[in-house]
Amino acid sequence: MTNQKIPLVDTDIHERVCYSDILDKLDEPFKHYIENCHWIQEKHMPYTQPSVAGVDRADAVLPDGRPAGSDLGFMQEQLLDEIGHEYGILTSALDPSPSSMHGWHEMAAALASAYNDWQIENWLDIDERLYGSVHVAAQDREAAIQEIERVGDHPKMVQVLLPIDDIMWGEPYYHPIFEAAEKHNLMIGMHHNEPPVYYGKWPRYFIEWHTLIPTAHMKQITSMMFNGVFEKFPNLGLMMIEGGFTFIPHLMWKMDQQYRDLRHEVPWLKRKPSQIMKEQVRFTTQPAEELTKKEFTSLLEQMGTDEMLCFSTDYPHWDYDSPHRALPNMDRELKQRIFADNAKNFYPKLPNDD
Amino acid sequence: MREQVVCKTSDIEPGEMMKSTFGKQNVLICRTPDGEFYAFMNQCIHQGAPLDKGMMCGAATELSTPGDYDYSHEGEIIRCPWHGREFNIKNEGRMLANPDKKIPSFKVRIEEENVILFK
Repeated sequence: MTNQKIPLVDTDIHERVCYSDILDKLDEPFKHYIENCHWIQEKHMPYTQPSVAGVDRADAVLPDGRPAGSDLGFMQEQLLDEIGHEYGILTSALDPSPSSMHGWHEMAAALASAYNDWQIENWLDIDERLYGSVHVAAQDREAAIQEIERVGDHPKMVQVLLPIDDIMWGEPYYHPIFEAAEKHNLMIGMHHNEPPVYYGKWPRYFIEWHTLIPTAHMKQITSMMFNGVFEKFPNLGLMMIEGGFTFIPHLMWKMDQQYRDLRHEVPWLKRKPSQIMKEQVRFTTQPAEELTKKEFTSLLEQMGTDEMLCFSTDYPHWDYDSPHRALPNMDRELKQRIFADNAKNFYPKLPNDD
Repeated sequence: MREQVVCKTSDIEPGEMMKSTFGKQNVLICRTPDGEFYAFMNQCIHQGAPLDKGMMCGAATELSTPGDYDYSHEGEIIRCPWHGREFNIKNEGRMLANPDKKIPSFKVRIEEENVILFK
């Protein structure tokens, strides 16, 4: 590890909660269901785990055996202080998404609220570098809006997390969630879920699933694009988290070409899809494909902007990207944008001195 | 010639590994199940992870065919603690997925109880 400091806004850090940590913040009867009736979230990938410590970096598991990401002090030592983070966006490991809750949206909504309180109390209010994500049970639209109204004004909450799951978020029924987010200056963050393939099932191998994660991201962007979410909510931004970024030029070209042929079906789009993406959609970089400097430069040229990429580590997960090693060398100005300024310009609630 | 005692043979059981230093270099000393010692740079060539936090294990090899796993090299494979990349200790530390790449290694000799690295 090098101690060379770089400006860094890390757009994907996973702090982890254990149920025992949030019991005191859960309303009854949900506390009872966990404490006395042994409810646990059914969340199982039918594969051999990808790495030595499951889905975590083996060196991020706490010395006392607690799970990676569950202790702020250890995270400060191993990540925030070691790398020299300016800011980090917490994206958690709690998942109240439809497929992992199997329809029990009442429990999902209760967990999300307890989680938000726990996140604020134990992370956002303790370390000034850390900013947070509002968790909602988005499958219950009204509960989600209530939760955004409840905690969305917290000065360190910067986005609402929506799962990439079995709901396509362009569906107009869910637009009031975007209205609530926009009202509170919150962006939308979407982090990949399992399984990520819309209405699909698990492929035979982990490597198939993990390779195809970007396709789920493309589906959500396409859904929101052509359902007019970005035109309807011009101050809303979408951060696509942990889907990589090499597919961006393809999606821009494809949507523009389709729009030229098929505009009659979605006449509410007043801007080219690629223009909307440049203005309102951002992408975290991890897991970065291993590109040469020439390939990386070419990709940015194909995007037509260097303002869409925001560096992320995905700490403490197994496919962590090192800020020092994951991307090719680049000049100082470009590095400043990708590692810091693009995220600062995207999140209205993130301090930005420029 | 530069050389240095990095540990005692009794410090590492067969099938285990430990980190040490060779001069200013962080090194990984591996002892394969047959009792032999090997030494590598203790840093993954991919993104720099500390390899001593990974594990020594076996691997499904290149002899596998679709749907039919060939598992061998028990205790002779280093798996990276981050991305799980596999390196064959007995094959110069070469990466299983790309044998053109390997972890830089150090020469090792044993004198009495001493494990000695040398260049």
